[in-house]
Amino acid sequence: MRNLLEIRDQIKRIYSRFEFAILPVLKFMLAFWLLSIVSGKLGYMYQLDNLGLILIASLMCSFLPTGFVIFFAVVLSIAHMYALSLEVAIVGLAVFLILFLLLFRLGGQSGDSLIIVFTVLLATMKIPYVIPIAVGLLATPASVFSVACGLIGYHMVHHVVVNAQSINNMGVEEATAKLRLVVDGLMHNKEMLVMVMAFAVTIIVVYIVRRLSIDYSWTIAMIAGAILNLIILLVGDLMYDTNISLLGAIFGSLLAVGVGKVLEFFRFSVDYSRIENVQFEDDEYYYYVKAIPKMTVAAPTKTVKRINVQRERAAEGRSVVTERTGAGRSNPYGNRRMDAKSITIGKRERISDFEELTDESEE
Amino acid sequence: MLNEEKVILMTKLASYEKREGKANMSVSSYFRGDYISLHLLKAVIVSTISYFIGFGLYLLYYMEDLLENMYEIDFMLLAKNAISIYVVVVVVYCCLSYIVYTYRFVKAKKGVRRYYHNLKKLSVMERQ
Repeated sequence: MRNLLEIRDQIKRIYSRFEFAILPVLKFMLAFWLLSIVSGKLGYMYQLDNLGLILIASLMCSFLPTGFVIFFAVVLSIAHMYALSLEVAIVGLAVFLILFLLLFRLGGQSGDSLIIVFTVLLATMKIPYVIPIAVGLLATPASVFSVACGLIGYHMVHHVVVNAQSINNMGVEEATAKLRLVVDGLMHNKEMLVMVMAFAVTIIVVYIVRRLSIDYSWTIAMIAGAILNLIILLVGDLMYDTNISLLGAIFGSLLAVGVGKVLEFFRFSVDYSRIENVQFEDDEYYYYVKAIPKMTVAAPTKTVKRINVQRERAAEGRSVVTERTGAGRSNPYGNRRMDAKSITIGKRERISDFEELTDESEE
Repeated sequence: MLNEEKVILMTKLASYEKREGKANMSVSSYFRGDYISLHLLKAVIVSTISYFIGFGLYLLYYMEDLLENMYEIDFMLLAKNAISIYVVVVVVYCCLSYIVYTYRFVKAKKGVRRYYHNLKKLSVMERQ
């Protein structure tokens, strides 16, 4: 545990020291990942299916606010949908606009753009179950709207990808049929609705439990959240026949608890064995305070104490100038040379550290 | 000589100003009623726009049916349904907005109060 805490402190120190470089790099990687997925999955407009273009957009995202990652992903999606069919693009644009106006506004605190990006990425990797636990632990219930945005956006794009062949085969005269296909896919997507409901309830429950004044509240919150999420998904599956993979959900929930423990370690690492319950009062109130010490460990720092240093000079017949400076008039740059003397160093010569050395080769 | 407590306090203040401070200050410059009313008004506008986008999609979805049965459709009933759905959408969205913005206002106010408390503490330290 001590080693882990040391590693955590070192990671924190490195991050705070190089934040100016690490943050843009992480944002670049995130944007590149998302845009590559969008381009790889849709990719109907060959002009946009270009690595250089994605790289440029990702580079721009690395210096712009996180919301721009979503903006670029949405623009890219709509452009690809337009290449597939105008009707699909119209539905896509309408859905994204409604999501932006209604849901994103409510959840639109700083950091919520990141939640949408991660929701889409993890849903693509078939492990969206990590999201409600992580969001419940780190964010507020208002982030439910951002998670819903991410899930709806992902399912719409996924539906278009799955039905792309059918849409392509339809003729120009079947414009309404194309539109209906996409709208039906979204409105009658029971899997999406069950998932949104399950995630919303899980986020709220995890948030409430982790704020309770009980021991191991974070651990209890993440385990309760994972079980609740599984139950709602199972009930939803039984009621609406959503075809959610049970094995995937169980594996995802286990992974979610693992991720939750990692987040707990970085964000809320406390030592419950040293709880202090104190009680005091002032003129107006009685205070019952529960103080839990944080788990911290000072990172080992290496201090080199020089008692007597031996310097070895291998160069034979090399001439150096040593200078002796008296206490109180030390001159580190050696401009004023006091009592300087020239010596020739033999094969191995020991020079005491008490003599300040100015290493100047004389031709 | 560095006053460690003062440095910590100043760092806290600066970090708050840098992160959520600015947004919270602008929120707390409103009265509670004004802030929530303003956002409810925005919610009405936004939900109206969203409703019309949705309604447009609905019309496109049923365009063929509407054109085929143009003379048999009871447009009064259609309008009545459309208006009642609009009212439901706006009311539900306004309720959600009310909850979210009340929570945000209370949170911002609390943060700003803590900020001013720390500022006061700093000014007392300066005078000592």
